[in-house]
Amino acid sequence: MRRLSLTTRLSLMFMLAVTGVLIVAGLSFNHLSRHHFKSLDRQELLEKAHAVQGILGELTSLDNFAALKPQLSALLGAHRDLTAIIKDHNGRVLFADPGPVNLPERFSVIAGNAIWEWHDQQQVFRGLTRQVKGPGQESPLTLMLVLDVTQHMYFFDALERWFAIGLIISALVSAALGWLLARSGLGPLRHVTAVAAAMSAKSLKERIPLAPVPLELQQLVSSFNAMLARLDEAFVRLSNFSADIAHELRTPVSNLMTHTEVVLSRKRNIEDYEENLYSNLDDLKRMSRMIDDMLFLAKADNGLIIPEHQKIALEEVIGTLCEYYRLLADEHNIELKVTGSGEVQGDVLMLHRAISNLLSNALRYTPEGHTITVSINQTTQCTQLTVKNPGEIIPPEHLERLFDRFYRADPARREGSPSNAGLGLAITRSIIEAHQGKIWCTSADGQTVFHMQFPRPEGSTESQ
Amino acid sequence: MRLLVAEDEPKTGTYLQQGLREAGFNVDRVTTGTDALQHALSEEYDLLILDVMMPGLDGWEVLRMARAAGKDVPVLFLTARDRVEDRVKGLELGADDYLIKPFAFSELLARVRTLLRRGNNSPTQTHLKVADLDVDLLKRRATRAGKRIDLTAKEFALLELLLRRRGEVLPKSLIASQVWDMNFDSDTNVIEVAIRRLRAKIDDDFEPKLIHTARGMGYMLDAPESK
Repeated sequence: MRRLSLTTRLSLMFMLAVTGVLIVAGLSFNHLSRHHFKSLDRQELLEKAHAVQGILGELTSLDNFAALKPQLSALLGAHRDLTAIIKDHNGRVLFADPGPVNLPERFSVIAGNAIWEWHDQQQVFRGLTRQVKGPGQESPLTLMLVLDVTQHMYFFDALERWFAIGLIISALVSAALGWLLARSGLGPLRHVTAVAAAMSAKSLKERIPLAPVPLELQQLVSSFNAMLARLDEAFVRLSNFSADIAHELRTPVSNLMTHTEVVLSRKRNIEDYEENLYSNLDDLKRMSRMIDDMLFLAKADNGLIIPEHQKIALEEVIGTLCEYYRLLADEHNIELKVTGSGEVQGDVLMLHRAISNLLSNALRYTPEGHTITVSINQTTQCTQLTVKNPGEIIPPEHLERLFDRFYRADPARREGSPSNAGLGLAITRSIIEAHQGKIWCTSADGQTVFHMQFPRPEGSTESQ
Repeated sequence: MRLLVAEDEPKTGTYLQQGLREAGFNVDRVTTGTDALQHALSEEYDLLILDVMMPGLDGWEVLRMARAAGKDVPVLFLTARDRVEDRVKGLELGADDYLIKPFAFSELLARVRTLLRRGNNSPTQTHLKVADLDVDLLKRRATRAGKRIDLTAKEFALLELLLRRRGEVLPKSLIASQVWDMNFDSDTNVIEVAIRRLRAKIDDDFEPKLIHTARGMGYMLDAPESK
């Protein structure tokens, strides 16, 4: 049943429902009709019995029973299917109209208004037995009224046969109808499937139109469209990334080529050659670092950076980094402040790299004489780390994309700091995410803050 | 000092050989793993520099077979692939160090010298002296021309590193890793600042200048006459 198509399932269910309803209706009809016929028969038998009793009431002696016979025949003879038998207490038949019926003896002793039924080979009888006592008689007479209901039974047999045939036909018809209904009902689903199947990397911009889709499918189509949007975004980002790589490498390569060709175009003194080689070395180093960074990101994308799992005191990591960057901070008269403590589970080297990027970033954008604050805060659920620096704020439209590769909030900065290829924050994010952490940035009121949140390592001590 | 360079890429191999020769080493070069193994087994080298990807035998095979033959010469791997399992494999086989391409030649040179120094380390020195600069490692005190120079802990560590590796160009990354424990390539000019400050204390008021900049490569401490 699990592998059946929806159409088959729906038509089967439809067929079962229709058949079920028909069976219930048929059985009820059958039962009601039988009951109805039975009560009609009973009514008739009771009426006749009453009338016979009335006639027999006038009987004073068994000897003048013969005088009543015409009267009884008149009463009972009109009814073709009805047989009346009157016996005396010795079992002698006094009266039988239209003739004696071969009934088992046990039916002669049933009393009261109970209706009995008896099946012969071909015939079915329904009957009533009653003891009748005339005035001045010592022993009662036995009155048996027997109704031949074989015709009724024939009717029911035929009814049942036709009902069975009708049931089979209607089951087949309902299955066919169900199939047609299901097919047309599932039309929108096939349409959605067709659109989805036709999707390719080039048509990621397409969306399945919501308007003609029935209510039940709208949720599915919306989710599908949302997935397409995410795919499209990732795809565009990836394409841009490749384009960016090409661009970022082309600039230094073209510098190298031009510079080298110009230098070689005529004889120069040794210092000029030296100068050219030094300049080349700078470009090459930058390219080499960029390749390293891109490889790191590629590995992160493929889930290949697996941080070591050690318990690390963040304040020690920050301490080491601050000791390093304090040299640079002092140069610009910037203060580095560290508060709080907390633990994370992870890889010291990677965390060094991630936080170092944030600190060097902060140092780059903090005006002279101000303070960069690094705070660590450990709660019961997580360990938080923030790096806050005063300075020009980052416009909100850039915040979201700040961690994208090669993204620079200010395109002009590209020329200003050639060593910064715009991969630092992307690397930081990759590392934080490899630690099951989150990173985001807020920037307002002259303060830019990078927030990081790590899961709290198991069994770490409360620090605050 | 005799080195073997096994590198199948001809340009890289030639430049490595030239660079190491000019740095004062006696360098043999081979281009296949099979040759590398043959040389390593038949000759005495102080260091093997092996490329991982080579025709014939790869670098790991060469190392494994050389170790199996009882050669415990230090080995430095060059690899274009940087995968954790590669590093682990190399280190398990008994490699002493590895460098990922592209690398700076100054970095390679510094690592080669570290490996060669390992083992025959001069017994714990307590005094380092270059020209009229005198450093007492036990008392953590530096004097130049008899004048006491106040240094911070990190400045002292930097000076000690430069002195211990006197005459060698030390790349910035190596300085950052040895003095500040920063084991990744950082793009800031912290080391420049640190060197400038150290210079201000030990060089500015004195002659001759001891700390030299190897442009684009790193820094070196040496007395001019010993060059």
